[in-house]
Amino acid sequence: MRLTVNGRVHELDPAPAVTLLELLRDRLSLTGTKLVCDRGECGACTVQLDGEIVYSCLTLAAACEGADVLTVEGLATDGKEPSLAPLQRAFIAKDAAQCGFCTPGQLIAANALLARNANPTDDEIRAGMSGNLCRCGTYPKILEAIRAVAAGEFELKPEARKPEAGAARGS
Amino acid sequence: MARKSKTSAKPGGFVSTTVEIEGRTETRIVEMPAFEPAAWDDKAELGIVGARVPRMDAPERVTGRARYTADITRPGMLHAVILRSTIPRGTIRTIDLTRAAKMPGVFDVMGPGDTPAGTRLFAREISYAGQPIAAVCAENERAAQNAADAIAVEYDTLPFVVTFEQAAAKDAPKARAKGNMMENAPLVMNRGDIESGLKAADIIVRREYRTPVQLHTALEPHGAAAEWDGDRVTVWESTQGIFRTRENVAKALGVPLSKVRVIKDYMGGGFGAKNGAGPHTYVAAVFAKRVGRAVRCLNDREAEQTDSGNRPSSVQRVTIGAKKDGTLTAIFASIDVPLGISGWEGGPGQIYHEMYACPNVRTEETFAYVNVSGMAAFRGPGYVEGAFGLEGAMNALATELKLDPLALRKKNFTKREPRQGRPYSGNNLLACYKEGAEAFGWSSEDRSPKSENRIRIGRGLAAQVWPTGGGPPAYALVRMNSDATIDVLAGTQDLGTGARTVLSQLAAESLGAKLSDVRAIIGDTESLPYTGNSWGSMTTASVGPAVRMAAEDARSQLFEAAAAMLDAKPGDLESRDSRIVVRDTDRSMTFADVTKKLGNVMIIGKGSRGPNPADTAIMTFGVQFAEVEVDIETGVVRVLRIVAAHDAGRIINPTLAESQLEGGIIQGLGYAMFEERVLDHSLGIVMNSTMHDYKIPTMADIPRIDAFFVGGADPVANHTGARGIAEPPVIPTAPAIAAAVANAIGVEISEIPLTPWRVLAALEKKR
Repeated sequence: MRLTVNGRVHELDPAPAVTLLELLRDRLSLTGTKLVCDRGECGACTVQLDGEIVYSCLTLAAACEGADVLTVEGLATDGKEPSLAPLQRAFIAKDAAQCGFCTPGQLIAANALLARNANPTDDEIRAGMSGNLCRCGTYPKILEAIRAVAAGEFELKPEARKPEAGAARGS
Repeated sequence: MARKSKTSAKPGGFVSTTVEIEGRTETRIVEMPAFEPAAWDDKAELGIVGARVPRMDAPERVTGRARYTADITRPGMLHAVILRSTIPRGTIRTIDLTRAAKMPGVFDVMGPGDTPAGTRLFAREISYAGQPIAAVCAENERAAQNAADAIAVEYDTLPFVVTFEQAAAKDAPKARAKGNMMENAPLVMNRGDIESGLKAADIIVRREYRTPVQLHTALEPHGAAAEWDGDRVTVWESTQGIFRTRENVAKALGVPLSKVRVIKDYMGGGFGAKNGAGPHTYVAAVFAKRVGRAVRCLNDREAEQTDSGNRPSSVQRVTIGAKKDGTLTAIFASIDVPLGISGWEGGPGQIYHEMYACPNVRTEETFAYVNVSGMAAFRGPGYVEGAFGLEGAMNALATELKLDPLALRKKNFTKREPRQGRPYSGNNLLACYKEGAEAFGWSSEDRSPKSENRIRIGRGLAAQVWPTGGGPPAYALVRMNSDATIDVLAGTQDLGTGARTVLSQLAAESLGAKLSDVRAIIGDTESLPYTGNSWGSMTTASVGPAVRMAAEDARSQLFEAAAAMLDAKPGDLESRDSRIVVRDTDRSMTFADVTKKLGNVMIIGKGSRGPNPADTAIMTFGVQFAEVEVDIETGVVRVLRIVAAHDAGRIINPTLAESQLEGGIIQGLGYAMFEERVLDHSLGIVMNSTMHDYKIPTMADIPRIDAFFVGGADPVANHTGARGIAEPPVIPTAPAIAAAVANAIGVEISEIPLTPWRVLAALEKKR
């Protein structure tokens, strides 16, 4: 079957029981998307499937034929020059990731939320994000980050479309 | 100014010092550092320390590049799954591994007797449900799970105990051979005389408080990958302590420390439950040895929720005596804690002795072993449970005396640590009370609910204390590369707390380097100097001074090298933004100019954590205020607002520290509102091991949180002026919320979580 992941086309042959999450992590080595509850309760495995958010732990890979999948690794792709998406830059600036294990799912859920509703109210953000659990308690910062992106605070200006200048990088 | 340590030891000499870890005091022999940097007090001119620098590893965390233990793969790596007992007590009569061993994709199977004794794995005697009894290693997790499911086990069941009452009953089944009660006696801590304290009281309040079992629920489960190279093993582990994990693995497998390497890069939360190796580690390491390939073993969610530690429940019977003006005369608490099958006495008692000035305090804590998976440290262990009882009783006392609960606390403020009468390194609790009350708009009069509607508003508060001095041993190196980039090397861990960022800030500040040139390298026992576990809110205050000293040492060497190049004396040099300037001249050169000339002649600064100041209590303090609304028809509580004011000495990065406060408050809110492990008492198993049934807060549950720091640097605690902050904010949240609910409905709250039925039951008492 053919599957497009983060803009790249793959020809794959998943076994019937393989989930989309297993396909992404084990077959395509896209380990940004995380397994936490394995039963659609926590949102850590959230990806966009043809634009809609799905729990990839509950989605059978074989049912995704011809689909277009977006994972956290695909958020930063901006044409040919890699650059962080406004949501990613907002998450950094607002300190919206502590341990970071839920962050890929939070980012994808937020991305889909803003695609549906470019100007969500705080209550709409809370409702839209309440399927994504975070144990470190970064919720206030995630809310701030999404709010800031919706307000256009992290729009890339055309001349700024290059890797973050001067941004500190640890590893 | 800094109080000098009462020691005359010379640099390099060894001295004795005490370190407080989560309420336990340990004495250590430690060498005096070669030099002690001048303490940074509030007058110190610092640019990078104290700045709101973005978390330096955040780019990795928001792009999916951060590699967690659960993401580790190795060539040919296999996957292991652990089979667990379904009964709480008994003996394995038969266990048949043969069918599992023949399943497709299976490489190896282990059961009772198949692992080194040191691993303590796969005993035939079962003492709790969820105990590992066998394991399978296969080409993928699915194949391993299918084979584990095919293992046939027959048990001879035995009677069991899962509650404190059952364990304490006469002729109770024995959870442990030596008996159900730890040490067969309560842990008694006493000062003064309770009887005379109660006699001197004008009023005595007696209350009973109950707290639930809380589950850590870290999103990344416990897990390890192991790979052998001859007689050396490398273990990737999601851990708060790489060196402790190394020690555990070496001991369990009978391997020298030098042949065990533990690596931890990123981890998805720990909260106290990941302080060493566990069954998953030993299973991965033993299989890897037997099969000759790398093996990864991760807890599934059920194992994580049922057998990876928890905050144990408690019953606290509290008696407080006070004068009419609120002056405390006696505090007594009799406390029962069922630990599970294993655990330690990190109980609710300590905070009763440490929070207030009171001459007579006594706690009697009884810890019981029961046939349930054991407890583990959980963020603020003991103090979180104890604060619910102590602060609940203080709020009850305020109500009885018709005193403002804030005034009651100010009245009983203690200027010295009350157990041993030691001075504090610093204590701004009164300022926390003042600034917290102002930010919240706390008023002593305007608190009682006026509304006759079904929605009632209430306000409450609670205070907190927690030992956060950290201490030795901790070592660090600061290394300058030939392009003047700087590596900070310390064998510590970043749990999501921001250790990489904070340590980089300390190094950059001390060296006068650009922060963007600094990189903290942590999490590898083989290549990095020793530091202790990241527990007890200790990392910044323990490792920070070692990093600062290493950076100062590196700067001295850099200045020595630059002095000749600049035709100046080292003492006339200053550095900032990675540039060295000869004071009062226009002569300067960049760090890179110097290191380029040096080539691969390396500047390596060395630092160690010195002893703690003698006879000094180093604590973090705080107070939290809560506002709630309660629907008295349905019992549904919503937390509207939390204001938190904490004093943790110097804050090295306010943004990251505020994230710690918010995170602690949100875990405390979960504890107050939803979180409770439910046991089936007749089967001895956990009923709510999923994330749907065990409820942690979601974004929709979060109130407005205004969390901030009060006070400034604490140069007595250590020369960076910082104390710890990770655990303190979780301590007062639940009692503050319970006080607000009590204020809203006019009925005291004695038990959490505040689920609607529990609130309705409280309202029923009023009718």
